[in-house]
Amino acid sequence: MAELRCTAVAKSYGARAVLQEVDLVVPEGTLTAILGASGSGKTTLLRLIIGFIAPDRGTIAIDGSVVSAADGLHVAPDKRAVGYVAQEGALFPHLTVAENVAFGLPRGERRSGARTSEALELVGLGSDYAARRPQELSGGEQRRVGLARALAPKPRVVLLDEPFSGLDAHLRAETRAAVTAALAAEGATAVLVTHDQAEALSMGREVAVLRSGRLAQTATPTVLYRAPVDLDVARFVGDAVVVRGTARSGVVECALGRLSTASVDVAGTVEVMIRPEQIQLVPTTGAGDAVPADVIGHEYYGPDVVVQLRLRDDARVPVSARTFDVATPDAGAVVGVVVSGPVAVYPLQGSSSAA
Amino acid sequence: MVSVARSRRHRDGATTGLFAIGALVAILVLLPIAITVFQALQGGTSAISDALRASSSRRLLLNTVLVPLVATPICAVIGVGGAWFVERTRLPARRLWALLLVAPLTVPLFVTSYAWATLGVSLQGFVGAAGIIAFSYYPIVFLLVAVSLRGLDPALEDSARSLGLNPRQVFFRVILPQLRPALLGGLLLVALDALVEFDAFVALRFQTFSLDIYAQYRLGFSTSGAAALSFFSIVLCVVFLFGEAWLRGDANYTRVSHGARRSAVRYELGKWTLPVVACLAGVVAIGVGIPVGMLIRWFTESSSAALSTASGNLQYLWPASRTTILLGLASALVALVMALPVAVLAVRYGGRFSKLVERSTYLSFALPDLVAAIALSYGAVHYARFLYGSFALIVFAEAILFIPFAVVAMRATLGQIEPALEDSARALGAAPLAAFRRVTLPLARPGAVAAIVLVFAFSLGDLATAQVLLPLNLYTLGSEFQANSGTVAFASAAPFAAVLIVLSMAAAWVLMSSFGTVRAFTDDERG
Repeated sequence: MAELRCTAVAKSYGARAVLQEVDLVVPEGTLTAILGASGSGKTTLLRLIIGFIAPDRGTIAIDGSVVSAADGLHVAPDKRAVGYVAQEGALFPHLTVAENVAFGLPRGERRSGARTSEALELVGLGSDYAARRPQELSGGEQRRVGLARALAPKPRVVLLDEPFSGLDAHLRAETRAAVTAALAAEGATAVLVTHDQAEALSMGREVAVLRSGRLAQTATPTVLYRAPVDLDVARFVGDAVVVRGTARSGVVECALGRLSTASVDVAGTVEVMIRPEQIQLVPTTGAGDAVPADVIGHEYYGPDVVVQLRLRDDARVPVSARTFDVATPDAGAVVGVVVSGPVAVYPLQGSSSAA
Repeated sequence: MVSVARSRRHRDGATTGLFAIGALVAILVLLPIAITVFQALQGGTSAISDALRASSSRRLLLNTVLVPLVATPICAVIGVGGAWFVERTRLPARRLWALLLVAPLTVPLFVTSYAWATLGVSLQGFVGAAGIIAFSYYPIVFLLVAVSLRGLDPALEDSARSLGLNPRQVFFRVILPQLRPALLGGLLLVALDALVEFDAFVALRFQTFSLDIYAQYRLGFSTSGAAALSFFSIVLCVVFLFGEAWLRGDANYTRVSHGARRSAVRYELGKWTLPVVACLAGVVAIGVGIPVGMLIRWFTESSSAALSTASGNLQYLWPASRTTILLGLASALVALVMALPVAVLAVRYGGRFSKLVERSTYLSFALPDLVAAIALSYGAVHYARFLYGSFALIVFAEAILFIPFAVVAMRATLGQIEPALEDSARALGAAPLAAFRRVTLPLARPGAVAAIVLVFAFSLGDLATAQVLLPLNLYTLGSEFQANSGTVAFASAAPFAAVLIVLSMAAAWVLMSSFGTVRAFTDDERG
């Protein structure tokens, strides 16, 4: 497998810019998840990398050699050795599972069947699947065969377009595990396109957030979740509680108390972003720096519960905390609020950000 | 957004080649028109203005336009109704009804018209002409609408029902609007076919432009006069094409979501079963019963003397059948090969050029078969002597005359194939042509079979082309039927008609069995 590098890629349809200045590097043997809402340009980026369309500006290189450039250089999709797993698998309905998987192999290997069963094994499907028809497979099995088909010819890069969409939660987790294992076993360089935050964060070595045609942030899942580049990204990758505060030398004062932040060089009025699971609820009695609050409602998810709170001192700020089922206080109870771990801060527009 | 990306894929060498081939097909189809215009102008502009000014012209124009005007609404009602009952209700013996409802399409129109003509004088003239067109061509609407019905998302109907609509309201407010592209497309084919029909109208003594052209050609052998009269049909054809495009508007009811992955529920007919079956039986009785019934009468009621002359003709039966089958199959294959690039362009590469290429293939209906055949024969005499009087020329003529049916069939079937399948094949290393051969073509087989059968069936019913272009040493079932039907002993024409009807029923059967495998498609009428 090989490194994929997109440099300053741009694509417009008429007057509408779909992608602008996209720089993306997927290191060899890693998976980068591209996370974006629908209409953000995810699919266009994928189709540019495969070569179904050509960029207006910028270059795309695989393994150091340019496959698409704005000067007209364009390697055809079939000459790129880029594996592609389409949404819902796109299995050829007139071929059996084995014939599907063998489709991209050279004639000789197609007949021997060794690589075919190897690829099927890779995605956790036994040889008893070989003779089946795509119509006889479940949704999850279809995605797995789609991946086996893409991996069989040993592509340089694998692209997965929303590979788990439309699967139920259980099947989704199972298929995701099978796909992750198969990609790891092949040492695949992969790009996964998704609009599902959990999927992107759990599968990507890096996650690139695509927002109206531009990459807003490319980072490891932890950095992206804990220190998003702005509030928009923060809200896009997870739930966020945002309060006004004043920052100085790595400490921020706000309605939720004195909190620590990693952004030591930010000073002045800021917006403070706290993840709901950072907010812990304690009994009001005896907790020194706990901020008193009323429980006003619940959203019950099973293992965890989101508790809506109204601060005693500042009723205007909506605050919610994520707690475990067993530790949930009833509505109407009075609790103490404690924030654990560093929070992210963003200078308010118009105020100074220099320390 | 996805569809935008797909419609503007990167143009590589293969794409350029496809566009070039599409343009070439369009030029070949338009060739007879170009030659006809050239011929007409050769006779000087006076021949044209004489033809246009002739007092009979106004009446002919009225006759020519009235037939499609009256026949297409009948086709719409029978076609849509039949398709709905076969596809969406628990009608008893549905497969048999589907076969019987399609059968009139494949029976040669001239056989049907002789049958109607002998049935009674009242059926001659306008009533017979409009009736024959309506009851022979409604299967075109039936087929297209039935396929479209299968493609509808059942979830839309469920939603409509949950919003408080009863089944009748669902049909008129949800189903019928979605069938509009298929319905209009079918009616266009019917109207264009009616415009240039004349083999059928000869027996019914109904005067249209086509018949007048025929007379000019037969009596005066005035090719430039005949060509001049063709201006009317060319103009009418273009008017119809624009009319259909205007009526269709932006109607592009592709599925917006994948929808429910199940087939729609069938309605119980209950107490309506008997009336519905009676209506369908009536339609079939007119469309199939009359020609088959008359054929049986010709056999049984002929005098022994007539039968003995008929038996003298039997030696021609086998060679005529062989030529007819060969000619039909060869034309169908050529039409299919020519229709493929046009259909691929229309389905996979939206845009003005693709639309232009596709629409120009419909212009093969702008000329009566006879005029097109004369034009090709004229062109061969003057510019391609080696083709003159050859089997290849008549094969080519039949192919371009009926190519719209092949285009429609291929387009429908290609539209069902998800582009993601071709994309996956490309990403797996298959070059454009290899992806087409290994994925698209096998999946398009039902459409290809339908295309071949349709062109084959229409070539059975084409007398005019054979009259002009058939090599002198050959004869077809149609030409023998025609030669013998003029005589008093109608029975001598009957064996040829019998073989024609057997062939056409076989065609209908093959058509329906390939049609049975047609899946619901998601993308029927793009632009």
